[in-house]
Amino acid sequence: MRQARSRAAIALVGTASLVALAACGSSSSGGNKSGGGGNNAGGNTKTIVWGSTDKPVSYDPAGAYDLPSWNVIYNVYQNLLRLDPTTEKNVPDAAQSCDPSADFKTWTCKLKPGLKFSNGDPLTAADVKFSFDRVIKINDPSGPSSLLAKVKTDAPDATTVVFHLASGNALWDYILSTGAGAIVDSKVFPADKKLADNKIVGSGPYELASYQTNQVAQFKPNPNYGGDLKLNNGGLVIQYYQDENALKLDVEQGKVDVVYPGLSPTADTELKGKSGVNVISGPGGAIRYLVFNTKTMPGGSDAQKRAIRRAVAFLIDRESIAKNVYQGTVQPLYTMVAKGLAGSEDVYKTEFGDTPDKSKAQQELQKAGVKTPVNLQIWWTPSHYGALSSDEYTEIKRQLEASGLFKVDLKSTEWEQYTANCLADKCPVYQLGWFPDYPDTDDYVGQFFGSTSFLNDHYSNAQVDSLLKDEEGTRDQAKRVDDFKKIQEITVADAPVIPYWQGSQIAITHGSVSGIQDTLTPDYIFRFWLLGKS
Amino acid sequence: MARSSGSLSRYLVTRLLLVIPMVWILLTIVFVLMRVAPGDPVQAALGGRLPQSVIEQKRHELGFDKPLIVQYGHYLGGVLTGNFGHATSQNRSVMDIVTHEGAATLELSVAAMFFALILGLGIGVLIGRFRDSPLDVVGRLFGIITYAAPVFWVGILFQLLFVAKLGVLPSSGQADVLQNIDLQNHAHTHIYVLDAIINGNWDDLRNVLVHLILPGLTLGLLVCGVFIRLVRVNVIQTLKHDYIEAARARGIGETRVVLKHAFRNALVPVVTVVGLQAALLLSGAVLTETTFNWPGIGQALILYLNQRDYAAVQGIVTVFALIVVGVSLVIDIVTALIDPRVRYS
Repeated sequence: MRQARSRAAIALVGTASLVALAACGSSSSGGNKSGGGGNNAGGNTKTIVWGSTDKPVSYDPAGAYDLPSWNVIYNVYQNLLRLDPTTEKNVPDAAQSCDPSADFKTWTCKLKPGLKFSNGDPLTAADVKFSFDRVIKINDPSGPSSLLAKVKTDAPDATTVVFHLASGNALWDYILSTGAGAIVDSKVFPADKKLADNKIVGSGPYELASYQTNQVAQFKPNPNYGGDLKLNNGGLVIQYYQDENALKLDVEQGKVDVVYPGLSPTADTELKGKSGVNVISGPGGAIRYLVFNTKTMPGGSDAQKRAIRRAVAFLIDRESIAKNVYQGTVQPLYTMVAKGLAGSEDVYKTEFGDTPDKSKAQQELQKAGVKTPVNLQIWWTPSHYGALSSDEYTEIKRQLEASGLFKVDLKSTEWEQYTANCLADKCPVYQLGWFPDYPDTDDYVGQFFGSTSFLNDHYSNAQVDSLLKDEEGTRDQAKRVDDFKKIQEITVADAPVIPYWQGSQIAITHGSVSGIQDTLTPDYIFRFWLLGKS
Repeated sequence: MARSSGSLSRYLVTRLLLVIPMVWILLTIVFVLMRVAPGDPVQAALGGRLPQSVIEQKRHELGFDKPLIVQYGHYLGGVLTGNFGHATSQNRSVMDIVTHEGAATLELSVAAMFFALILGLGIGVLIGRFRDSPLDVVGRLFGIITYAAPVFWVGILFQLLFVAKLGVLPSSGQADVLQNIDLQNHAHTHIYVLDAIINGNWDDLRNVLVHLILPGLTLGLLVCGVFIRLVRVNVIQTLKHDYIEAARARGIGETRVVLKHAFRNALVPVVTVVGLQAALLLSGAVLTETTFNWPGIGQALILYLNQRDYAAVQGIVTVFALIVVGVSLVIDIVTALIDPRVRYS
């Protein structure tokens, strides 16, 4: 009896102690441990905590062509060249120079001497060749191999890399500065498959210090970094969230220093008035558009398919999407080239108007002999483009069905499966978004309208291909702008894609985090090293 | 005494032997369900722009090109040797997922069961003692509401109250960011509470316990409703017995009668139900982990389902099934130990 009471008492005291221990201590907020190493500017050694609901696909450059993954890749790896955030021009990174031949078909880059990866391995031209070759060889469905199509890389000596392009490309230096051109350690990365995220090694300003899949990644200054970037912090931790509500609460409480990209428009608006929270916006070239697979979409002939696309273009109400779904945080877009870029013209407004026109949509379908309502299966993806994709496509469905001309069946799946399906002829019509790889109009027109477009929508126009080759092969900006305008004017008539909004970048900070405005640039590169905390 | 230990041994042996066909049936159901789902797992996970030759190579590597019966044999053999497969979408073995994320779910489940038992037993005894009083009505309503309310909704309400309004508890995660990293880097069991104790880091322990409160309470409320009603009924039944009247007649105080005599005997069926609630805890953990960004196996299951990673889903569901079988076995053994009627029946 006495023993039983003693045991019960001990259990009770033990439990009470644990609870008291929890209650007495307050959880300490993160972000104040000092880091070290690397090119630290001004001695600011605090760690920045970055919260995100993004789901990176891979930290291996061969397996990633999405913004969440490239946000890490830009900070862990070096490229031959990088984009200067102020001038948006390419400047040396791992290479001290990259020079084209007169026809822009051959590019020769000279590496800086003495560069090393974070594990101490020397960075040589062989590693650069290896990096480019493996992206092409692995050809991962989620990877950027489409940016490196038909390029041959040579490394004649330890510090020289030569790229041989199938056709002249005056913008090849931009491609070198993208995530596709990240340099990996040939001694660590396999040549024929992706490396696990927790094992990556780069030569960039940061190294991956610890990693828990889908949860948290810690980056510390790379002690072997040989570049000229100055770090304003002692490291960065990315905390991944499955649900934006938890992230919103954490940034309010100061558990998270930075949220990027922002949350839903509702959450961003709610946070604007909160004490200690700053909602910052920057220029953005992100666009959203509808893609038609011209092979699998409904329609008994090319003419009928074209009529269906044009009818949809006549019916899309961009103002309604921007206002009712996104609460005015995005702007209607009438071209596939983001506003603000050279040559951008509102060709879809000229062709189809800026308000829905049911009668014109009906005429298009009648002229082609299309029976209505047209059964249209439209795919979208729930989380990759933000939580409002569901509302966005519900609205598009409503708009199309309100005309009586379409019957829409919405389908969705998550990103990895989505890209695998929709880029393989399984989605007749589907949602896509675009963040620029580099801040040039070519990154918009070439990616969408070329015969080798990653969209795999089977749209092809010889005149457009010729214009693309022309603008890529010259640095004459006036000529290029003229080419861009012609491309937009030709393709709008066929409407293989329909753009509908352009958004700006949003970042949310708590407390005194500096450098955010400096990194919210049109190139969408989130530069860890610019962020500081006082 | 000899008869008692002999019947207990017989019961234990019988019960252990019954596990074999139970596990075999469960594994077979999991295998069949994953195979009848439309689509090829490799095509689903990796298809698209990969050449068909590469897809075929991957199907061959994973054994999907073999006859179903051969795949079944490999699957059973893998389970017996602790190989539950590999996540196709990420370069991770299912064992790695179970070890890391499973530890987080175990921690959450234990905390939830703790809250469920404290609330369930406490309220159940109280309302059983004061049957048909206003307290009884409130207690029963509480049990029904906590059982019926969606777990994610309760979680969000708690976040609104304790985080947004009062600001006294953290909203999500197993620990604050830097404590999380520290515990990962000094992991022994991957159960943060234990690891913090082993490391002797009391700051980390406090941080982890504070983070456990909301998700543990949320999930625990889901289960405590069952305990409340069960304990109430058992206490009421037990209080009607003659030995209770005899105890009262001997002048023993009512509190002692209820807690020492009635409650103890009312607990026996509760032990059985605890085992059954293990399955409910696992299913509730999926939504709780999503709401609180808890890095457990439930959240991982959602992620792999969305990625159509059948290999990972199959592996995780297999582990879930084995856990439920294991817990049921333990509960049956404990029940036999404390209630001799079980082993004689």
